Amino acid sequence: MNGNEERLWKLLSDWNIPVLPTAAVSSPGAAVEVAKTLGHPVVMKLLSPDITHKSDVGGVILDLGSDKEVKDAYHGMMKSVKQHLPEARIEGVVLQKMAEPGLEVIVGAKLDPQFGHVIMFGLGGIFVEICRDVSFRVTPVDREMAREMVLEIKGSPIIEGTRGREPADLEAIIDVITVLSSMLEKNPDITEIDINPLIVYSRGSVAVDARMLTK
Amino acid sequence: MGLISTERELYGEIQLTLKAIFEPESIAVIGASATPGKWGYTILKNMLGNGFPGPVYPVNPKATDILEQTCYPSVLDIPGPVDLAVIVVPISHALAVTEECGKKGVKGIIMVTAGFSEVGGEGKQLEEQLMGIVDRYGIRLIGPNTLGVVNAHAGMNASIISKLPAKGGISFITQSGTLGLALADWTMEMGIGLNIVVSTGNKANVDDVDLLEYLVDDKQTDVIAMYIEGIDHGREFMELAKGISKPILAVKAGRTRSGSKAVFSHTGSLAGSDDVYSAAFKQAGIIRIENIDDLFDSALALSVQPAPVGNRVGIISNGGGASIIASDTCERLGLTIPGLEPGTRASIKELVPKFASYSNPVDTAGLASYETYNGIVKHMLRDPNIDALIVIYVHTVMWDSRIPANAIVDIHRDRCIKPVITCWLGGAGTEAGIDILKTGGLPNYPVPERAVKALASLVKHHGFLEKVKE
Repeated sequence: MNGNEERLWKLLSDWNIPVLPTAAVSSPGAAVEVAKTLGHPVVMKLLSPDITHKSDVGGVILDLGSDKEVKDAYHGMMKSVKQHLPEARIEGVVLQKMAEPGLEVIVGAKLDPQFGHVIMFGLGGIFVEICRDVSFRVTPVDREMAREMVLEIKGSPIIEGTRGREPADLEAIIDVITVLSSMLEKNPDITEIDINPLIVYSRGSVAVDARMLTK
Repeated sequence: MGLISTERELYGEIQLTLKAIFEPESIAVIGASATPGKWGYTILKNMLGNGFPGPVYPVNPKATDILEQTCYPSVLDIPGPVDLAVIVVPISHALAVTEECGKKGVKGIIMVTAGFSEVGGEGKQLEEQLMGIVDRYGIRLIGPNTLGVVNAHAGMNASIISKLPAKGGISFITQSGTLGLALADWTMEMGIGLNIVVSTGNKANVDDVDLLEYLVDDKQTDVIAMYIEGIDHGREFMELAKGISKPILAVKAGRTRSGSKAVFSHTGSLAGSDDVYSAAFKQAGIIRIENIDDLFDSALALSVQPAPVGNRVGIISNGGGASIIASDTCERLGLTIPGLEPGTRASIKELVPKFASYSNPVDTAGLASYETYNGIVKHMLRDPNIDALIVIYVHTVMWDSRIPANAIVDIHRDRCIKPVITCWLGGAGTEAGIDILKTGGLPNYPVPERAVKALASLVKHHGFLEKVKE
């Protein structure tokens, strides 16, 4: 992992933001062993400092359920990436336990030149990308403000549960927003951060992916 | 917090010198001109013609007298003290006359002269030099590149606005000179009273934070209206605004999203500066207004009416159409139209014809007599389900617009806990009634939508007082 990525996951774990168990490996043999420890099924993601959009080059493979599938995926990924981007440096792969399905949300922040850190909340996927259904608050964000943020987006009924779906854990989302706010206060050099997706269950949540930019 | 309290202490001194800008006892117009059409002429003429009680000294080395006033070659030649200098000289002379102001002991400067940081390059350096001079002498400076300052209560028009606005409780801070002045002109036509109007220009010395600090303690200012293009000390501005219980309304220019920057994170691409301003304003209890015409509509209501304790609106009209528009707009803006208490309905029923509506919105079916309007408004104000009233009168030749106006002004005088907003609709023939409303402190709007929008700002302000304001 590059320095920022390593720091990001360490920050998330130091601040008790739940993350999916993750490990980096650099050989197919190690991948098989680690996948077994994490528990199948797993996700494999390419580890390369030169590639941002991993899925475009075959650098993300989901739902690997056995030793053989893990081994084949490793070889297949290396081949595919070399075909697409022969010059890219490859450090290995990251393995992550597959997340149980839940409600995908995004919690992020950016440093605004006038107002300092600003936190964003939205539902994942097309809600954030196409509908821009998101809310913002300047830090520090307390629990009451975080609750308002979550409930003011247009899609908030989805969080409260619709069509037989159980309501998602609102308090868990509020936890992540407020913890992120405190974390940013202690880490003023962070210019952009996304926890995307944060998967929210009827009890608890888990950060599946995240990225961060620093000064 | 330690930092902020130190700054607050500093503001104590700043206050004194901003006083020299907004409430000076003597003024020099440096670069005054005898040629009509030149700004140096306009500003001097505006200074002289509006009842400013103190001495106004024209300064220009090429003239002996302008507009019948003795003209001095330099500010240093003026015999008495000078609190405020309005500088309208060519940019090549700007630094030299500022230095002279320092030597003279001038406390405040309004630098109308342009050609500083707004043009970039050399102008930026000139502005730095200018700041060097004012800092050395402890002068506070508005601008440069400002179109001036008005204080209606002090009879001071140190600007290029053609005439002094009517005296009122709204103070207006504008970052755009020309737009701000056009708006000030427009408020005069609307008959809206103003107190201080300040065009901030480049904000090289006095900025939004300083101005808020001054206006919060200014006794003549009830409402602060702002036209903002950008704020330099966002955090400080937010903290300050949070502590101000006077309503602050702001139009922020540049609502379009940036969207063009390279995408690293979703947050980075979605959090345009406009979203950040919206969030910051909400958190600081600043009412964000979409359009500039709504800015003064809301400011007017806030300057003369109390904020309602809730969002439940009663509507009274002598015509159904107007009250439907008012109800629809209420709903769209998050205001509710509740049912009335049985007692209220029974009392209203006796005041209106059989076929009229005696539930909310109340429709008098055409009646606009004194007894009808006076009685209905009284009963509705007493109803515990109602937090605010919108009273509509649709003008027809059968009625005199003054009669329903008097009917509600008479009530309003002895009960003012719940706000009353009026809409006298129909143009010609309504003026006499509107004058009565205005004199009685009731904000009137020509269409129901505008009345409701202004009321929505009152409701918003109350929400901020409850939740945000410290």
